[in-house]
Amino acid sequence: MSIFEYNGSAVVAMVGKNCFALASDRRLGVQLQTLATDFQKIYKIHDKLYVGLSGLATDAQTLYQRLVFRHKLYQLREERGIKPETFASLVSALLYEKRFGPYFCQPVIAGLGEDDKPFICTMDSIGAKELAKDFVVAGTASESLYGACESMYKPDMEPEELFETVSQALLASVDRDCLSGWGGHVFIVTPSQVIERTLKARMD
Amino acid sequence: MSSHFSQLCSPSDMDLNLNAPHSMGTTIIGVTYDGGVVLGADSRTSTGLYVANRASDKITELTDNVYLCRSGSAADSQTVSDYVRHFLDQHIIQLGQPATVKVAANLVRLLSYNNKNMLETGLIVGGWDKHEGGQIFAVPLGGTILQQPFAIGGSGSSYLYGFFDQAWKEGMTKDEAEKFVVKAVSLAMARDGASGGVVRTVIINSEGVTRNFYPPEDLPLWLEELEPVNSYLDVLASSSPEPMSS
Amino acid sequence: MRSCSIPCRSREQIASVSETSRTSNLVSLRRTNLAFGMDPSAIDAKGGFSFDLCRRNAMLMEKGVQPPSFRKTGTTIVGLIFKDGVILGADTRATEGPIVCDKNCEKIHYMAPNIYCCGAGTAADTEAVTEMVSSQLQLHRYATGRESLVVTALTMLKSHLFSYQGHVSAALVLGGVDVTGPHLHTIYPHGSTDTLPFATMGSGSLAAMAVFEAKYREGLTREEGINLVTEAVCSGIFNDLGSGSNVDVCVITKGHKEYLRNHRMPNPRTYVSSKGFSFAKGQTEILSSKVTLLKERVVAIEGDEMEE
Repeated sequence: MSIFEYNGSAVVAMVGKNCFALASDRRLGVQLQTLATDFQKIYKIHDKLYVGLSGLATDAQTLYQRLVFRHKLYQLREERGIKPETFASLVSALLYEKRFGPYFCQPVIAGLGEDDKPFICTMDSIGAKELAKDFVVAGTASESLYGACESMYKPDMEPEELFETVSQALLASVDRDCLSGWGGHVFIVTPSQVIERTLKARMD
Repeated sequence: MSSHFSQLCSPSDMDLNLNAPHSMGTTIIGVTYDGGVVLGADSRTSTGLYVANRASDKITELTDNVYLCRSGSAADSQTVSDYVRHFLDQHIIQLGQPATVKVAANLVRLLSYNNKNMLETGLIVGGWDKHEGGQIFAVPLGGTILQQPFAIGGSGSSYLYGFFDQAWKEGMTKDEAEKFVVKAVSLAMARDGASGGVVRTVIINSEGVTRNFYPPEDLPLWLEELEPVNSYLDVLASSSPEPMSS
Repeated sequence: MRSCSIPCRSREQIASVSETSRTSNLVSLRRTNLAFGMDPSAIDAKGGFSFDLCRRNAMLMEKGVQPPSFRKTGTTIVGLIFKDGVILGADTRATEGPIVCDKNCEKIHYMAPNIYCCGAGTAADTEAVTEMVSSQLQLHRYATGRESLVVTALTMLKSHLFSYQGHVSAALVLGGVDVTGPHLHTIYPHGSTDTLPFATMGSGSLAAMAVFEAKYREGLTREEGINLVTEAVCSGIFNDLGSGSNVDVCVITKGHKEYLRNHRMPNPRTYVSSKGFSFAKGQTEILSSKVTLLKERVVAIEGDEMEE
């Protein structure tokens, strides 16, 4: 068993027109035993910056705490929120520091940058950044997510259409992964509002 | 060997030549003659079965009058030679005169011996100084130092011991010595799969340093070898397809 | 993959290498000018690796958990010297095991205005090592007020890689033009270097080298050079499974450089549906919804909470 399959997860981010969507499943399990179906995998850094953490849940939570800590220090020093690009570099540096003893955690970063330009990014567990223009995926369902997003994604979607697309991609993918699913959690972030929705999904 | 080959054939193994340490299955030689030394080496650097560099230079300059033949791990031998060069440069400045071969060889030994658990390299130091003339020092794996009239090293050297015992003579002339070195390296290259390419020589004596280079077409042929060609595309273009089918 | 399956014993060896316990009498072969000691505090760490999860991870491995695979660039990277300078080339595929995780990544990294570096191996390592050295070079330029030399970059890279004994798995093709002319080097993960007129690296290096060995000659023109580099990378793209997508090229000449991102795109996407998927609004079943307005910071709650 790979360590990434211990808890199970599916995280996906997608870019729309002046907006982005970040979605995850809600299951927390210990291998095949489900412990919780309301587990938070998407965390808020600030109003327009979110991070989804897939992989080993204990590491995800530890990493999240360190990220919040570093972001608060950044705010104190700079008196502003961090830019998504900068934040991605920060996460990358924190992960690469543990190159030889990594957090078993694959982050997905999504945010609105300057001029509300959407930014999405994912990394492997040692901080190799992958900047994509369209979508990024992570977690045990990542293989199915690649396929679903590859065919469902269209450029310049409006927020509501983006929501439908990312939700369908997520739900379709977790149905083919036993370790993730049991509901979905979707954030749609536009310059003026954040829509947070929970999705109904299969419970098997 | 066979396990290496199966890795090479496996399509999922994408890093056969990235993760294998870069090492020099090598033939290196140092010979003293009347008035100086001749150093010789082949030019093949391999990672596993792949020839990573077919024209490498394994005879590194330490100072104006001392050179070093490297064998074993390329990374280790380069690092040792870089450090020795650094220390010798400082030493020359402090001394105000050229370093002796003995000092250079002892620095090589010191690094090899102190870090012997981490290093995998055998070295031959050769040079000329005004006090003791041409000298050859071998520094093999554990960090021993051996002054010898001639020294051979690397994987190709096993094919040369008998030849050296039979053919090496004291008091050769410069030309005799160089011919001897080139012949020896080419013999080893013919038998040792990890040695090959061209032969490089460095001659050091009171007059200075001469570097020579012998491409395959200038080397003697042994054991019914085929004539070397620069490119097999030339062979394909020629009227007879025979060399490729044999 | 292989680079990450370091047994726990050697992990501790690395840890002990990074402490200064291995210094020998005269000199340790480790680089000493960078502080690679470890500082447990999170913020004022001066840099360097942290090994505090090594024991836990080794314990997990012992319990039969497989170590993770890292993003690799199963790669074709090449470089050659032509009449007026150096040309570097790379494919743009990043892989994680058999999965293509980035179809158009950048593998030609900036080192200095006159020096670029292609990276193969573990993506995080190539990225980090080139970034680190390029910042050192920038500081060096501020201190000296001179253009960086290619050998300076070479020495910094090789001493870093050597000090980690191959555990930082970056295989690089370094090229640039400085006051001493054009230079091309290859650097292996263990820290050995070669100086060559034409070079290839990565899993596609054999395919690319075949092209170079057949067609390279001295004194190529710029046009011929770019074409040969492109051909060599394409040979990797089509014959090596770890390489794919597009060709990036970087041409460096004296006082000038040109980064041709996606110089050739031999694998365009052919399977796009003309209409695409479209989903009717409200098709996805929602359990709860919460809208947060950003400017006014007003929270409005819609729908009914069914869970929690």
